[in-house]
Amino acid sequence: MDVLTVKNLSVSFYRPSCEIEAVKNASFSLQPGEILVIMGDTGCGKSVLCKSIVRLLPDIARIKSGQILFQGKDITHYSEREMQKLRGNAFSMVFQNPMTALNPCMSVGAQIAEAVRLRKPQIARKELQDEVAGLMELVGLDCPEKQAKQYPHQFSGGMAQRCVTAIALAADPDVLFADEPTTALDGEMQEQILELFLKLREKLGMAVIFITHNPHVAARIADRAALMRAGEIYRIGDAEEILEKHIYDNYQ
Amino acid sequence: MKNTYMTIISELIRFMLSVFLLSVLVFTMSRLAPGDPLYAYYGDRVEKMSLEEQEAARERLGLDASIPVQYMRWLKGAVRGDFGISYKYKRDVKEVIAERIGNTLLLGGLGFVIIFILALLLGLFCAWREEKPADRIVCGIGTVTSCIPEFWLSLLLILVFSVWLGWLPSAGAYTVGMDKNLADRGRHLILPLTVVVLGHLWYYAYLVRNRLLEETRADYVLLARMKGLSGKQVLYRHCLPNALPSYLSMMAIALPHILGGAYVVETVFSYPGIGTLAYESARYQDYNLLMVVSLMTGVLVIFGNMLARLLNGHIDPRTDRRAGAFRGEADGL
Repeated sequence: MDVLTVKNLSVSFYRPSCEIEAVKNASFSLQPGEILVIMGDTGCGKSVLCKSIVRLLPDIARIKSGQILFQGKDITHYSEREMQKLRGNAFSMVFQNPMTALNPCMSVGAQIAEAVRLRKPQIARKELQDEVAGLMELVGLDCPEKQAKQYPHQFSGGMAQRCVTAIALAADPDVLFADEPTTALDGEMQEQILELFLKLREKLGMAVIFITHNPHVAARIADRAALMRAGEIYRIGDAEEILEKHIYDNYQ
Repeated sequence: MKNTYMTIISELIRFMLSVFLLSVLVFTMSRLAPGDPLYAYYGDRVEKMSLEEQEAARERLGLDASIPVQYMRWLKGAVRGDFGISYKYKRDVKEVIAERIGNTLLLGGLGFVIIFILALLLGLFCAWREEKPADRIVCGIGTVTSCIPEFWLSLLLILVFSVWLGWLPSAGAYTVGMDKNLADRGRHLILPLTVVVLGHLWYYAYLVRNRLLEETRADYVLLARMKGLSGKQVLYRHCLPNALPSYLSMMAIALPHILGGAYVVETVFSYPGIGTLAYESARYQDYNLLMVVSLMTGVLVIFGNMLARLLNGHIDPRTDRRAGAFRGEADGL
């Protein structure tokens, strides 16, 4: 069974003078353990599509029509409280800019621990520390004991992105949304983070929706790819085939 | 540990330097201001004194020398704890201030603490209910109260609660002969305290509200919400610690502002505090009194800023100036 199905989803931003349709009739499905790359230019609605699934849209945006099914259950009209339970359990997200995604006033360890504690409220202190250290090791942070006590401003971009990934993994999610996690990083760091995602998918078996506007990143990581333009998914299918067409179109 | 000592020593040096510069400024400015301090000492009798007598009086009070010489004399005395006599009260400045400082600390200090706590709570409440009816009502009431001038509000309250209803006293800090009675002091404090609090509360509450709302738009809030935290939890656990440093710095700077407000209120309510003294000393060129009152206020401001800096370092690690904080020695998971 598909872990996530989106049917004819339309999302609009309502301003006093006008309505802006950011996503139009988007449909796709996601298998467990699959990496779907959503590709498109800046402002084409990739992030809005993902944020509307997890319901992290700004107040002025609303789902206009369509359906979102998670493991066969319709979650389109879930209340905020019900969505809260899904976020941090079934869904997780890694954001574009790791330096601003982390709370500057909290140590990195505390931020990971918070995510763990939300999933396991009764966890003992020692167990919590072990789990935080385990997650940090899993994402490739070498000295978890020391680094857990550090603050985001003491980290490099790549290290911070690993922390954000560790927070996302603390939820043990069924679907991980990665909203351009490599865009703010340099080439070598990009490669390391992509490697990490592939390794994690293999190890944890979660499905990943990976947003990018970089075809090379997409080619490196995707099982399937969806291309977006002006809020619409205009092509979706096997990654190799879709990307080949995309590069050919661009070349033309 | 060495870093902590170094921080304390450097803070102390900055403190001393700031106080010294402040004393030079106040001393020079008060002496350059127009007016004759002899009026404070002798009152209208000055007009009947001959020029020679006036010269002799100036010499006796040490006002005949140049400003730098006068300052050096003052500084020598001040270092030994001798701040001279008040020209108006003809008593040791320390005695005059000691009589009244308790009243001002009670009014200004209590007002400051109430404003500090209430502004934070109101700001949090409004940010939590952003653009909902509760937020709009509080914002509306707050804007109206903050626009009322303090002296007008004082007169209005005196008219309603003292003159018409006769519930509360309109002047003084206690009823004559009842200075040890706490209930009586409390009753005298209610009206001036209300004016001090109402005059400043909304300004700071609104700043807290807006600062928090700014934080709720930050990227880290999305990550916190993605963890499964509710809007309220995100506000308290994540946004508040980020908004607190600027609130603390602002409140540290607000300390003299609120005390200054208390000075005005003291005058309207004839409340015997430093405010009335500050006003009188400036008006009558009572130099020695003016110096001590200004220095006391200045020391309070500098101390407030130091405290805010130290507290900020603990809340927001990016503002911690101790070298260790950048080597990952900050504690806690």
